[in-house]
Amino acid sequence: MNLPNYFLADLPPEATLSPLMISEACLTLKRNREQYLANRSLQSMVTLLAKLAENWMDSEFPFRKFALERAADTGFSRATLQRGLDNFFRQLTRENFRALIAQELGDATDASTGRLEAGQGNRLPHGRGSALNSRFWRGPEFQVHIGAGNIPNPAMMSLIFGLLTRSAQFLKCASGSSFLPRLFAHSIYDADAKLGMCLEIAEWRGGKAELENALFAEADCVTATGSDETLDSIRGKLPGRVRFLGYGHRVSFGFVAGENLFGSHSSKIVSAAADDVVAWNQLGCLSPHVIYVQTGGIVSPELFAQMLADELASRERNEPRGEISAEESAAIASRRAIYEIRAAHSPESTRHWRSEGSTAWTVIFEADPRFQLSCLNRFIYVKSVPDLKALLESADAVRGKVSTVGIAAPEEAIPELAAKLAHWGATRICPLGQMQNPPLTWRHDGRPPLGDLVVWTDFEVEL
Amino acid sequence: MNAELINFAARVGRAISQDKSVFNALALELFALQFQYNPAYQRFSDVKGLTPDNVRHWTEVPFVPAGAFKELELSCIPAGERTDVFYSSGTTEQKPSRHFHCRESLALYEKSLWKGFERNVIGPFGNYDLIILAPRPRLAAHSSLVHMFETVRRQLAAPETAFVGKFDCAGAWAIDFEAALGALRTGDKPKLVLGTAFSFVHLLDFLAENNLHLRLPDGSRVMETGGYKNRSRALPKAELHFLIAQFLGISREQVICEYGMSELSSQAYDFGNRDRHFYFPSWAQAQIVSPETGREVGEGETGLIRIFDLANVFSVAAIQTEDLAIRRGEGFDLIGRAALAEPRGCSLMTA
Repeated sequence: MNLPNYFLADLPPEATLSPLMISEACLTLKRNREQYLANRSLQSMVTLLAKLAENWMDSEFPFRKFALERAADTGFSRATLQRGLDNFFRQLTRENFRALIAQELGDATDASTGRLEAGQGNRLPHGRGSALNSRFWRGPEFQVHIGAGNIPNPAMMSLIFGLLTRSAQFLKCASGSSFLPRLFAHSIYDADAKLGMCLEIAEWRGGKAELENALFAEADCVTATGSDETLDSIRGKLPGRVRFLGYGHRVSFGFVAGENLFGSHSSKIVSAAADDVVAWNQLGCLSPHVIYVQTGGIVSPELFAQMLADELASRERNEPRGEISAEESAAIASRRAIYEIRAAHSPESTRHWRSEGSTAWTVIFEADPRFQLSCLNRFIYVKSVPDLKALLESADAVRGKVSTVGIAAPEEAIPELAAKLAHWGATRICPLGQMQNPPLTWRHDGRPPLGDLVVWTDFEVEL
Repeated sequence: MNAELINFAARVGRAISQDKSVFNALALELFALQFQYNPAYQRFSDVKGLTPDNVRHWTEVPFVPAGAFKELELSCIPAGERTDVFYSSGTTEQKPSRHFHCRESLALYEKSLWKGFERNVIGPFGNYDLIILAPRPRLAAHSSLVHMFETVRRQLAAPETAFVGKFDCAGAWAIDFEAALGALRTGDKPKLVLGTAFSFVHLLDFLAENNLHLRLPDGSRVMETGGYKNRSRALPKAELHFLIAQFLGISREQVICEYGMSELSSQAYDFGNRDRHFYFPSWAQAQIVSPETGREVGEGETGLIRIFDLANVFSVAAIQTEDLAIRRGEGFDLIGRAALAEPRGCSLMTA
C-alpha cells in the first residue's frame, strides 16, 4: 500500500520542516474546517466514525492489513497489535458514541448546527418555558495535539474527539511514533477526503521551539500527553488565550482479593492479569506495574505469581512480545540481575520467573508490598498484601498519580473497594483484564473527555 | 589477612606486566578463591549452579550485577579488616554501592590504575602540569575516582594544589574556578586536565559566562570520565569534546575518555589505540553480551558490558555492568547507561 502525500508526516524522512510550513499548514486547516467541517452535524461524525471503526475491525480493510503487515515498525508483534487495534475500535460504536455525547453534552444544543445532540435530534424549542434546554456548546476552532509515543490509542482518540467537536486538528507525534496515527488519519481521508483535509499529522523530536511556537501561535486548544517536565515546558510556551489540557505521567496496578482465589476461578483471574500485562506490551499508562494479591486465599500470592509466569509463557507462544530496543532490553536484563541476586539471598521474600534466552516476560514476586515501577515490556511485579488498606499505604508514593486499578474480587465486595479507591484518588476502577480497554466515556485523568474541550454558551430566559 | 588472597594479589601484580595468555588460568583460580572467601558470591554462584568444579572458562563464571554492591557486602575481606570503602557517586540512588578495601587491595588498585593510566594517558613522552577538577582526597575519602587521581598525582610528583575542586554548600562537587583558571593559565608546560564530564560542564559554563577562551600549551591533554549523575546538564559526548577543545584550545584528538566504576580496580580508555575504541588492560577482559540472551554479541552489535577484572582480588572479579556498548573487536564503543530507574508510561516517550 502506498500512502499518498496528504500529511507532513508522509514526506520522506530527509524533508525538513520549517516554521513557515507549519504556519501555512495551520491556516490551510482552519480554512478547510470553515469550508468542510464547521457546519457538519455531530450525528454525521458519529455515523462516519462508527462506520470507519467497523471497517478497521474487518480483516480485509486495506488500512488494517497494511498496519498489521508493518507491525514490526510499530514495536509490537502482529498479534499484539491486532488485539490492541481490535480492542480500541470495538469501542467505537454508535451506542457508545451516543452514551459519550449524553454524558458530556447532555441536553445542550450544538451551536454550529442548532441541534440537540443527546440522541433525540430535536430542534431547539423556542420561547418561554424552555430554559432547561437553553445551553449551547461549540468546539474549539483549532486543536493541537502533542502525542506521546508508546501506544497509538491516545493520539487516535484525540483525533476522534476533535472530529466530534468539529475542530481543525494538528497532531504532532513523538519521533518514530507517527505510523499508526498517520494510517488512521489516512483512513479518515479515504472515507471522507474533506474531513481528511481538516487534519494534519507531523512528526518531530519534541523541543523544536521554532516549529512548536509556530504551531502554538495558531492554536485555540492544545492537548498534550507527556512527563510533567514536558507538560510544564509546553504550558510555558503557550499564548495566554490558548486552553491547555495536559495529561501527565500516570501509573496503574491490579488488586486481587484473596477470597476470589480458589480452584478454576484462579486460572481465570490469572488469565485476566496476563491480558493486562500483554496488552500493548504494558506500555500504556493504564497498564499495571504491580498486581497486588491479597493473602488468605487458597492460592497464595506467591503461587499466583508462578501461575502468572506460566500464563505469560504460554501467551508468548501465541502473542509474542516482539523485539524491543537494546536500551529497553538492557533495562530488563539489569533489573532481572538484581532480583536474581536478591532471590539467591532471600528466597523467602523474593522470587522470580522469566523467559529463557530472551527478555520476553518476567514475573517478580516480592513480599515487600511497596509499590514498584516496572520496566514494562511484560515485566510484572506480584506483591502480597493483607488487605486494601495495606495496599494503599504501600502505594502512597504514587498517590495522585494512579490512573487505573484493575480489580478481581467477589461482586458484592467491589462497590466498597471502589469507594475506597476513589476516596484515595484513583481515577478509574475496572475489572482486571480490562485495564487497557477503557470505554469511550472514560474520563482521562478524571477529566471529561469532550466537556473539557468545548465552550458553553448559557442562554437565560425570563421565566 | 588472608594469606592465600594476598599471595594471589602479588601474582596478579606481576601478571599486570605480562601478556594475557595466563588470563584464563588466573581468572579460574581467582574465581575459586572468591567462591571460597566471599560468602555472598558463593551463595549467588551456588544458586546458579556454577562452581569452581564445573566452570572451565572465565566467561562461564557467575557475573555479579554492579547494582548488587548496593545490597550485599561483596567482599573477601572480613569486616574487621576493612580499612577503606569506596561508594558509588550517584546522587539519585537510595543506597550507594560499597566496595570494601584493605591495604593489599588498595595497593593492587593503585598498581592497576597507574599502569593503565600511564600507558593510555601519559604516553612515552609525558611531562605535564597536572590539574584535577575534583576535591582533595581528604575531603573525598570514599571516592574511588579521587583515590585514582591522588595515585596519579603522587606518581607524577605533582603538588597537592593540582586538585582544584571543592564541595559546594549542598555537598556536591564543584570547582574552585580561581584556582582552576590560575593553574590553566600558568606556565608553558603542557597541561594534563583530569575530571568528570559534569566537572567539565561546570568549567565550560564558567569559561563561557566570562567569555574566556584559553589556549593550553601544545601537547596538553584532557581526560574525561563519563557520567553526569544529575550534577549538571548532560551533553552528548561529541558536543562536550568539541567544547572542551574549543574553550581550552587543544585539538579534539587530545581529549581522552576513561571508563571506570567504583566496583572495579581497572579502567578502560579510548586512547591507547589508534582506533579510539575503548580497551581494558590485559588483566581485565571485557565482553559485550546481549541483554536478551546473555551471550556475547557479534561484531558491531550492541549489548551490556561485562568485565572480569583480575585486579578485583578481594571483592568480586566478574562484574556485570548496566552500561551499553557496541562491540568493536576486543574493544567497544561506549553508549552509556540504559535508563533503568526511569518509569516509562505514556509520558516518558515524548522526546
